[in-house]
Amino acid sequence: MEQVIAERLTDTFRDVFGDRAIQLTRSTTANDIKGWDSLMHINLIVAVEREFKVRFTTAEVMSLLNVGDLADTIARKVQKG
Amino acid sequence: MRPNLDYFQLLADARREIPSDLKRLHVAVMSDCAAQHLILLLKALFLRRGIHAEIYEGPFDGIDFDARNPGSALYAFEPEYVVIINSVQMLRDRFYQREEVASFSLESLQRMAVIWDSIRINSNATIIQSTFAPPVERFFGNYDRSVKKSLSSVVADLNSMVVSETGKRQGILLLDLESTAARIGLNSWFDERMWTLGKSLCSFAHLPLVAQNVVDIVLATQGYGIKCVVTDLDNTLWGGVVGDDGPHGIRIGAHGDGEPFYRVQCFLRELKRRGIVLAVCSKNEYAAALKPFQENSEMVLQLNDFVAFVANWNNKPENIRTIQQTLNIGLDSILFLDDNRFEREAVRAMLPAVVVPELPEDTADWIKTLTDLNLFETVSFSAEDKLRSSQYVQEARRRTAAETAGNFEEFLRSLEMTIEVSRFIPEHIGRIVQLLQRSNQFNLTTRRHNEAECAAMMRDVRGWIPLYAKLADKYGDHGLISIVILKPDHGSGVLEIKDWLMSCRVLTRGVEEYLMNYVFEQAREMNLPMVRGTYIPTSKNRMVAEFYGPFGFAKTHVAPDGRSEWALAVSDYKTQRHFLTAEADQTVCAAASWKEERWNKSSQNA
Repeated sequence: MEQVIAERLTDTFRDVFGDRAIQLTRSTTANDIKGWDSLMHINLIVAVEREFKVRFTTAEVMSLLNVGDLADTIARKVQKG
Repeated sequence: MRPNLDYFQLLADARREIPSDLKRLHVAVMSDCAAQHLILLLKALFLRRGIHAEIYEGPFDGIDFDARNPGSALYAFEPEYVVIINSVQMLRDRFYQREEVASFSLESLQRMAVIWDSIRINSNATIIQSTFAPPVERFFGNYDRSVKKSLSSVVADLNSMVVSETGKRQGILLLDLESTAARIGLNSWFDERMWTLGKSLCSFAHLPLVAQNVVDIVLATQGYGIKCVVTDLDNTLWGGVVGDDGPHGIRIGAHGDGEPFYRVQCFLRELKRRGIVLAVCSKNEYAAALKPFQENSEMVLQLNDFVAFVANWNNKPENIRTIQQTLNIGLDSILFLDDNRFEREAVRAMLPAVVVPELPEDTADWIKTLTDLNLFETVSFSAEDKLRSSQYVQEARRRTAAETAGNFEEFLRSLEMTIEVSRFIPEHIGRIVQLLQRSNQFNLTTRRHNEAECAAMMRDVRGWIPLYAKLADKYGDHGLISIVILKPDHGSGVLEIKDWLMSCRVLTRGVEEYLMNYVFEQAREMNLPMVRGTYIPTSKNRMVAEFYGPFGFAKTHVAPDGRSEWALAVSDYKTQRHFLTAEADQTVCAAASWKEERWNKSSQNA
């Protein structure tokens, strides 16, 4: 489960940033990826929502600190859904 | 939904390198919501149409500051288009802060009007102003609109004032988000999360549609657009096959299973009234294809609604090519409607420039699909538009007359043509701008002057001689069909022909000869010994590459890009023969351009 989410998440990041070289870890943050500004952050959220067919709340989006948070939130929503 | 408007696909497209040889446009985007996403989408969508859009992003919610300061970065950018997007979310916040809202919509309008007028003073850019999407919230249920001070009433009020106030001004076009949001549905349109997180105008899924509408409007001002609909007959204008079912066996009519086809015919008839010409292209026996029009009283469209009626067994691309040549319009201004997939594919393959929409299987869905594609965008609607279809029919009659007349000169004389040439006047500016935008083939320089620029030349009586010509003959009125813009230079003794364009419908009538005589008369009256002209090549105007030659002009210079300069001394000009008579009732004559007094008098009278 964890592994599948990580792979799909990496693909989504690569598509959104147009960069095939992106590698993610749980601790990856906006500081680690070139171009991850507030504009790209929203693009990312929209792309992740589409990929995993989930919907984040406003509070969830605002509280995400790193890729690990994002993956956990997705896992929780996918399980529920 | 409109195809090919995927948000992420467009973002990827926006990252692509732009070829260096593309036409460039300066577009400024000013908004009180986030503009960055929209700007990337605009870049990608302009690129699809072969345009390199250089985009200026105004400061967030800083429209007033940018527009009112003549030294702002906005004006330094020299925009050709200023897109102003106002969000209902921002309006809503201002509304909530108010204790008293009686004058709220009027004050909001005034704030917008100051911005329009500031831009107009400081720039010749075309302004594209959004309307407000209806707010999603209702506080009185169905009674909401009955309360004058409710948010939805205030927004509706403001929208109708924006429509009427922009209509009174020159060079402002509407980006009708009110209508776009309604088409999508407000619950899908708005995404309050995205407003909270990033001040996004609407859900990201719909942002591409907003950008596409901006591109559609800009392209319409650049002369792109559908001018002719070529339609199939069987299972398109009626249900069934007339050759098998007979003129009374086909399905057509306001009730029953013929109704979807009846609606398609009504839709096409409205397009015809709007100035788009209709033509038939059908695989049928000619006589059989005519029969429903002649015998079935349920038909909405009549034979005289079509400027061309082609029914034979040839392939359709060939027939469309014939129709295109008869009408003398570009292939990219033709829309082809056919229920048959094979025919659509054949036309796409052989005539890729023709617009061939994929149509739903059920004819009842066609009108929605066609409307969603926004194929009929325009920037004006004038009396000439309503006339156009009958003009093409008259043209067909004239051609028949030409075939029987034998001697061409005799034929021209028999037309009893009258021409009116005059300096631009305010009531014709709309049509003048439209002609400037739409003429591609007979257009020496293809400069798309906008409304503000035309008005500026009209007023500058010393600097410019902007002329239009109207033509009529015994078969009917052609309206305003040619524009010649002259610039006298008394220092060097040159009368410069800056722009010359004409509707191709009136080719070879002698209009060119008449106007060239007119130009040289002007030069003589102003004691300018030399007339000069320029030809700037485009992909569409090759027909006028040697326009100046036959009049006796010498080619004085050819630039590497194909642009050529021409000159002819007034004393060497030979007056051209033609068969046009000057319209007696010529109120504003061009020579008044330098007799300033007289021009002022006539403009006061106007």
